[in-house]
Amino acid sequence: MTPTSTRSAPTRSHSFIGIPSRPRIQELRDEMLSEERVVSVEQALITTRVYAAHPDEPVIVRRALALAQALQELNIVIHPRELIVGNRTAQVRAGVVSPEAGSSWVDREIESLPTRPQDRFAVDAQTITAFRTQISPAWKGLSLEDVIRDRCGASIDEIDKVVKINQKDHAQGHICPDLTRWLTLGPAGLKAEADSALSNATGDAADFYRSVSIVMGAAQAFLLRYAQLAHTMSAQETNPERQADLDTVGKALDHIAVEAPSSFHEAVQSTWMLFVLLHAESNASSFSPGRLDRILEPYYQHDLDAGTLSREGALELIECLWLKFNSIVYLRNQNSAKYFAGFPIGFNIAIGGQDENGDDVANDLSFLFLAAQAHLGLPQPNLSVRLHKGTKDELLTEAIHVVARGSGMPQFFNDSSVIPALIALGIPEREARDYAIVGCVELTTQGNNLGWSDAAMFNLNKVLELTLTGGIDLLTGKQIGPNFGTLREYEKYEDLEAAFAAMIDHYTELMIAACDVVDRTHADILPSPLLSSVIDGCLEKGVDVTRGGAIHNLSGIQMIQAASLADSLASIKTLIYDAKKLTADQMMSALEADFEGFEVEQAIMLNKAPKYGNDNPEVDAAAAKWASYFAAGLKKYVNARGGKYHTGMYTVSAHVPMGQNVGASPDGRNARQPLADGGLSPVYGRDMTGPTAVLHTVSRLDNTLTSNGGLLNMKFLPEFFASESNVDKFSTFMRAFIDLEIPHVQFNVVRREDLIAAQAHPDQYRSLTVRVAGYTAYFVELAGDLQNEIIARTTQSL
Amino acid sequence: MTPSHPDVVGSGVAAPLPTHTPTDDALATVVDIRRFSIHDGAGIRTTVFLKGCPLACVWCQNPETISPRIEPVFFPKTCIGCGKCVEKSSNGEAIRDSDGAIAIDTTAQGNWQAIIDACPTGAIRWNATSYRIPELVELLLRDRPFFRNGGGVTLSGGEPLFRPKVAIELLRQLHAQHVDTAIETALHVKTSAIAEAAEHLDTIFADIKIFDSIKHAAAIGRGNSLVLENIHYLLTSSHREKVVVRTPLIPGYTTDPENIRAIGHYLRSLNPDVRWELLNYNPLAGAKYDQVPDREFAYAAGKNPPLYTEDEMKEFRDLARSTGVRRIVEQ
Ligand code: SF4
Repeated sequence: MTPTSTRSAPTRSHSFIGIPSRPRIQELRDEMLSEERVVSVEQALITTRVYAAHPDEPVIVRRALALAQALQELNIVIHPRELIVGNRTAQVRAGVVSPEAGSSWVDREIESLPTRPQDRFAVDAQTITAFRTQISPAWKGLSLEDVIRDRCGASIDEIDKVVKINQKDHAQGHICPDLTRWLTLGPAGLKAEADSALSNATGDAADFYRSVSIVMGAAQAFLLRYAQLAHTMSAQETNPERQADLDTVGKALDHIAVEAPSSFHEAVQSTWMLFVLLHAESNASSFSPGRLDRILEPYYQHDLDAGTLSREGALELIECLWLKFNSIVYLRNQNSAKYFAGFPIGFNIAIGGQDENGDDVANDLSFLFLAAQAHLGLPQPNLSVRLHKGTKDELLTEAIHVVARGSGMPQFFNDSSVIPALIALGIPEREARDYAIVGCVELTTQGNNLGWSDAAMFNLNKVLELTLTGGIDLLTGKQIGPNFGTLREYEKYEDLEAAFAAMIDHYTELMIAACDVVDRTHADILPSPLLSSVIDGCLEKGVDVTRGGAIHNLSGIQMIQAASLADSLASIKTLIYDAKKLTADQMMSALEADFEGFEVEQAIMLNKAPKYGNDNPEVDAAAAKWASYFAAGLKKYVNARGGKYHTGMYTVSAHVPMGQNVGASPDGRNARQPLADGGLSPVYGRDMTGPTAVLHTVSRLDNTLTSNGGLLNMKFLPEFFASESNVDKFSTFMRAFIDLEIPHVQFNVVRREDLIAAQAHPDQYRSLTVRVAGYTAYFVELAGDLQNEIIARTTQSL
Repeated sequence: MTPSHPDVVGSGVAAPLPTHTPTDDALATVVDIRRFSIHDGAGIRTTVFLKGCPLACVWCQNPETISPRIEPVFFPKTCIGCGKCVEKSSNGEAIRDSDGAIAIDTTAQGNWQAIIDACPTGAIRWNATSYRIPELVELLLRDRPFFRNGGGVTLSGGEPLFRPKVAIELLRQLHAQHVDTAIETALHVKTSAIAEAAEHLDTIFADIKIFDSIKHAAAIGRGNSLVLENIHYLLTSSHREKVVVRTPLIPGYTTDPENIRAIGHYLRSLNPDVRWELLNYNPLAGAKYDQVPDREFAYAAGKNPPLYTEDEMKEFRDLARSTGVRRIVEQ
């Protein structure tokens, strides 16, 4: 590396996709992916032992001591080719058991972990024995899971067909730490802050500061353990190249254990260590780095200017970090794995977007991050591009090139929608402009916000069902809710609406009561001093983040799913009350029979009523109306940490299990079938008017409905990205997306498999259009041989 | 192009009118409105396909647009065999044959509106919709946020100028709203119509298919003197810069080197700087002829030649360039 090769030319291109990954990346990638996922109880044993040894300490101190001990004892490993090191287990992608959060479910499910349908883990007999004899008995009745069950289990069960309450058996993640604070102060600086505050503190605050001091001391020692390991390995290493790597790694760790990073390499290493530590404290989903291009830029620029780093070298470090983001997964219970399938661990990184003054922040790192994603194509980090009017074409085009590779990433967020939504929530404008994303699509301010963004999911479609049946579950015939009337009785559409509103209110109240208990139980059982030290407000106030120490304290509720709901309401209104193509009795009989013997009625419901996603203002307004009604209803509640409840419109995979809870519905959907995916997306196959119409439909939803996050999924054929002129058109499409103030969109590229699936299930793919040379046609309406020809062509163009 | 299901989609503007003999110049007969067209012309466009064409090329890609009438059309793959159509049939329009399959004779006279209303799936529908022009304009303007970087509205068909007053009024209103406009025309229309439409157009895609008038008449139904006259007009008028001449490559019909050369020489004589595009043959068009009972595709099933390869296309373009036309459009 020579200094001349690293200087920035004034008009250089920012596309770094062409820079090849260095050989070590492929090696590390293969090594990581070939390792089997196993269950680990190593830390669980330590935690159990330490809790038993300190029965009289306050919970927060016991948690701190247990974490400190784990950081001292856990097996640590450095892989010889790694430049960025550290993990919370010796194995990569281990499923860590955290008994203080949940052990009863592990007790029930441990044997089935290797064979369950979703997200499997291997588990050996020794682990099972250790869990059953030493861990599980110690936590009976004491884990978060058990205490919540004890406090409000019955009421959670009572509403579980309508509402899914989350965070019941694991610690709360979904948070973006103040990474800048960590990088600047490091464990030593944070410990010093806690120690100095401790001298004047009493009561809970004193326990809190003492706990922070314990964990930060342990964090520092943990970094030094890794440094030591690197030095030891270096001494034994015979390959000079690897020895040099190990020396670099060791020196970086020595330095960041006591001081702020002095190089890009050290900053990246320090960043990763913070996330290892957060996962060691709280085995939870979605600790998100936030605006990493912005945060790391000074270190990058410094090294570039000093001539100690090349872009190739920076890319290598970034790719090492990217691999690390894939090395931690999160063990969920079987039911939760259905709702959040495929390990969405949620290392969400936002690139680009505005700064506090509204100016664009995109820099070299934004492009290097995109290049790393293009090269690796792995599920983590969850890469998010923030767009706004000032986004440069170059960044947008580069992001589209990465999308075209088909990993579904990056996803896009729209500053012109998100920032006003956050401001409406009471967030100061400067902070709103600096927003980041946690997990999948949840919006957050950076470093000062316990957003509790995944508090619960509220199934509006089940609520509608109970409104039609008078509280009877169509799937079981049992009375599970109150009777506010039935479709057969409502004389006017407005009568139905009034009953629907009452039913929403009823379940909202029950949901909030449960959320409140869950929130308070987290504060009682799982205080998190390490996390608190990097969330602004906590150290200042002397209050743990689970008790409301953060500056912002929100709770997010997901509405499931407005598109399906709008389709059902449009069907009822059009077919029964307006055009009178069906009677209420015909519709109800068809729903009760899951359309068996009512195929004509089902076809009418599917085909003779308008559908969400086609730029039809009336249907779209129904989605907006009821989403707004629900969101407004939350406004009268305050969460346990003194903050607001607000709404999101997204799911990971929950539209499938949520659909399993809902009987046949007036939109023509069969019982137990999935609801619309995404959260903003139309029901799959019903958007017959093309992607621009979908954007118009979605733009009719008020921004504030998605202050907790919205998710729009769109699919395109690979041919769409085949030429540069089409990439330009896609970029035009995205500019309109910005103007239409839609919060989010992500793109899937339709694959050959999708087309084959469309042949088998044409009903689900009605809107899939294909270019048939001179014209565009609906794929499912084409003759079979023609479909085959298109399938063949699609393979070629990939 | 397939008409979308109007019931499912619902435009939100006033309901389409069920006028089946569209002669009223206030009404446009629309086969389909295709938003997000990205293959025709610059930017993201909305293409509106108007019904009716004076020609009848045997290779037509949109044979259902040739007749100006709004007719019933049947999609067997969508039919669930419920028989609701049979109940409304009085004249053999819809019957259930001996093995239980539904057979629809879309050429039969009958109460099609009742049948279409009764069909729960949309398997039987009208193959076009009438719109009042202001409502159509409103619909076309829906995608205005996407009409940047060269995007806009394209009139296609059929022959969009088959009913010149409708097309011209449509273009006038769109242009008044500062929307970029384009047309795809086969030019077999009155020169005065072309001239007036051109006032409101930004791009004119104009077809010349076969230079020899007798061969033209054999394949297309009419001689080409009007076409050549109109090309002459366009390439010598103030609109010359708007024109892109197109020649579809139809094996055995338009692909004879003599034909390409003759077209090229004619174009060069009028304006050697005209843009000229050779369109690859579309072997898939034959699939649509099932829905158009009274028309036959140029090639019998199994005799359908394949797409030209990129190398073959290059040869065609080289041939075209050899005639002295300087701007051969590359795809
Ligand atoms: S009414 Fe429609 S779906 Fe039913 S048999 Fe006739 S064409 Fe088929």
